[in-house]
Amino acid sequence: MIETSKYHATQTDLANEQAIVEAAKKEPAKFASLYDKYYEQIFRYIYQRVDDKEQAFDATQQVFIKAMESLHKYEFRGVPFASWLYRIASSEVNNIYRAQKQRTVNIDSVGVYGMMEEMEETKIDKYHDKIVDIIGQELPEDELQLIEMRFFEKRSFKEIGEILEITENNAKVKTYRILEKLKKIIK
Amino acid sequence: MKRKVNLNRPEISSAEIAKRKNFDSVLKQSANVGAKPLIKKPWFLSSVVAVTIAIVTTVVLMNQDKKSDQHVENQEQISSSDSLALLAFYKEEEAKPCIAPPIKGLNVHYTTFKVIAEKGATLDYKTGSKIIIPKNAFADENGKLLKGEVELRYREFHDAVDFFVSGIPMTYDSAGVKYQFESAGMIEVLAYQNGKQVNMAPEKAIDIEMASDYKGTEYNFYKLDTMANNWSCLGKDKVKANPEKSSASDIKKEIVSIEETPEYKTFETKKVEAKKEKEVQMAALPKPIAEPAKPAQVKKGKFTFNLEVDAKEFPELSVYKGLLFEVGDENTNFNKSMYDITWDEASVKEGNKSGENYNLTLKKGLKKYDIIVYPVFEGKNYETAMKTYQEKFNKYKVTLDKRIADEKKAEEVYQAKVAEYQRKQEELARAYKQKQEEAYRQMETTQKVMRAFTVSSFGVYNCDNPSVYPKGILCVANIKNDLNKNLLCYDVYLVDKQKNGLFTYYRNPLTSFSFNPKSKNMLWTVEHGVLYWLKPEQFSSITASMKMQDLVLSKVDQKFENVEEMKAYFNF
Repeated sequence: MIETSKYHATQTDLANEQAIVEAAKKEPAKFASLYDKYYEQIFRYIYQRVDDKEQAFDATQQVFIKAMESLHKYEFRGVPFASWLYRIASSEVNNIYRAQKQRTVNIDSVGVYGMMEEMEETKIDKYHDKIVDIIGQELPEDELQLIEMRFFEKRSFKEIGEILEITENNAKVKTYRILEKLKKIIK
Repeated sequence: MKRKVNLNRPEISSAEIAKRKNFDSVLKQSANVGAKPLIKKPWFLSSVVAVTIAIVTTVVLMNQDKKSDQHVENQEQISSSDSLALLAFYKEEEAKPCIAPPIKGLNVHYTTFKVIAEKGATLDYKTGSKIIIPKNAFADENGKLLKGEVELRYREFHDAVDFFVSGIPMTYDSAGVKYQFESAGMIEVLAYQNGKQVNMAPEKAIDIEMASDYKGTEYNFYKLDTMANNWSCLGKDKVKANPEKSSASDIKKEIVSIEETPEYKTFETKKVEAKKEKEVQMAALPKPIAEPAKPAQVKKGKFTFNLEVDAKEFPELSVYKGLLFEVGDENTNFNKSMYDITWDEASVKEGNKSGENYNLTLKKGLKKYDIIVYPVFEGKNYETAMKTYQEKFNKYKVTLDKRIADEKKAEEVYQAKVAEYQRKQEELARAYKQKQEEAYRQMETTQKVMRAFTVSSFGVYNCDNPSVYPKGILCVANIKNDLNKNLLCYDVYLVDKQKNGLFTYYRNPLTSFSFNPKSKNMLWTVEHGVLYWLKPEQFSSITASMKMQDLVLSKVDQKFENVEEMKAYFNF
């Protein structure tokens, strides 16, 4: 599966980013480069989970407003700054769900085909709709999150682990267990 | 929690996302929220504790006085400091002038006409409306007729955005009964000379023919009394046909076909991109290893030559050990004696059946023979060669099958994408057709007309129909922002796209908020000059209940330079 995330960071990237965060704590205008860097990622994360584009844009702004307000509390833990932003974004998305009493699941057929590839299932036409139904209506929230991140957002297991605060290996094992489960359900 | 599933929702481009970046707004808002308001300072809070209980009671009663028949089961607790601030805010809002535009700098602009007072004029407004000013129609404050140039300022209001930005009240109190106006259009006409407002001369009147989308006769003619903060009914206007408006058939001619729309074309491009993507994927697939040649066994009674060949030149011949070249039946010139000759030179070239046979050239002195030979193996060498061949063939088969499967998969993904794009195009075409038909129907029902009336003083007039709040779902609503804080707002406007009005609710929470769930609705309110809105799709989660429901309004980040921008934003 092709992973398309721009999330990966080298140790040098992390150090540079941390320096910007520290500078922004003293001078908020310096947060601009982090805003620029992560705006699209955070927007796409939110948009993947909500129904309305405008709502996603509004929520993205809120994530950055909240991040700036709480920047003084941010502590560097050796992972990209984005993982902290994703946590705020996740909370923002949950607020939307609570307000709307509804969770939006955006499914991409290409992602579904990717899942079937991993499941070594070739009858993609036969099972496509069934998998869409299961993902959309039956998968528990924690499993849905993993599937969303891996197959619809094409994130690496390392990144999924950092966002969900689990190990890379754990993310991988859990994902493949879900695929196994799906395989059994559809047959 | 209920889930909504969207399948293959169109992607948003990075360019579109980048356009919405607004760090300045983030910077500003984070700074604002960070600062503590006066009422949140500890000393302020402690000083008001003593009056808290009385004020909370008052606020609740004040909220209920207009709608005493409503029962609020779950009134939200209001903190003491908030209560004081709220009371002060209400007082301030109620003291505002009759016409109070809610957003600074955003209003319907006046069109200014220069009129020579003693001549009068017939003026054409941009909407097609006509203003007919008789001779000597202007007078000063003492009733003395004015001469010379007079500036006539004129504007019209035709939809919810116009009504909203103008701040002109859309409620009507008729003998204590409150109505909400549905409008066929509204105008304001004012006159100035040398920068000073002037009056209409006694016994004079201006005739106005206002272009309107509404041809009904249920509308009355009203003038806004800004002192009484209410409208005065002046009777009925006259409805005349508007010859200048385009007919439905004229508009039909101007409509482009769906195939020419950018949305439709996008999917054509996507199809081409999907094809290219498939081709790139196929080209990137690993090539299967070459199919190994199957070794042949020497036939009984056939002549064979044992020759050493260059492995570099003939890699396919050097795969197996014990290679022999068998003389083919087609060599009619070959005889047994040739087999006994010690040849000076023997060379092998690829034969006429590539990979199957070879040309063996034998030379002795000046004599030269060309023989077609076939690679063969004998005895154990043949068995070993067959075993090696089988292993190699199995490997080859695996890579070949994988290649075929990969190609099939890429093709299936491509076909699925194309089918999906096709489906979306068909969907677009269906929606487009439906929209067109709806537009034609609308054209028929909202036939453009001229609503004619006469005004004998300057001010704001409307052709409106007193109506009530839309019905369907009735609830108690608490207006919040997306930071889960109550919005400090006084007027909350319901926009119902099926009705041309602006249904005004007062004070947050709204103790009896009703709307038509079958219509497309929006809610607008303004806090500290910032516009917030409840989007149409959010109305579906509002339930009919007397329990307090939080309505989370989103801030409208876009700064509207003019009314047209606001109309475009809200799809008017």
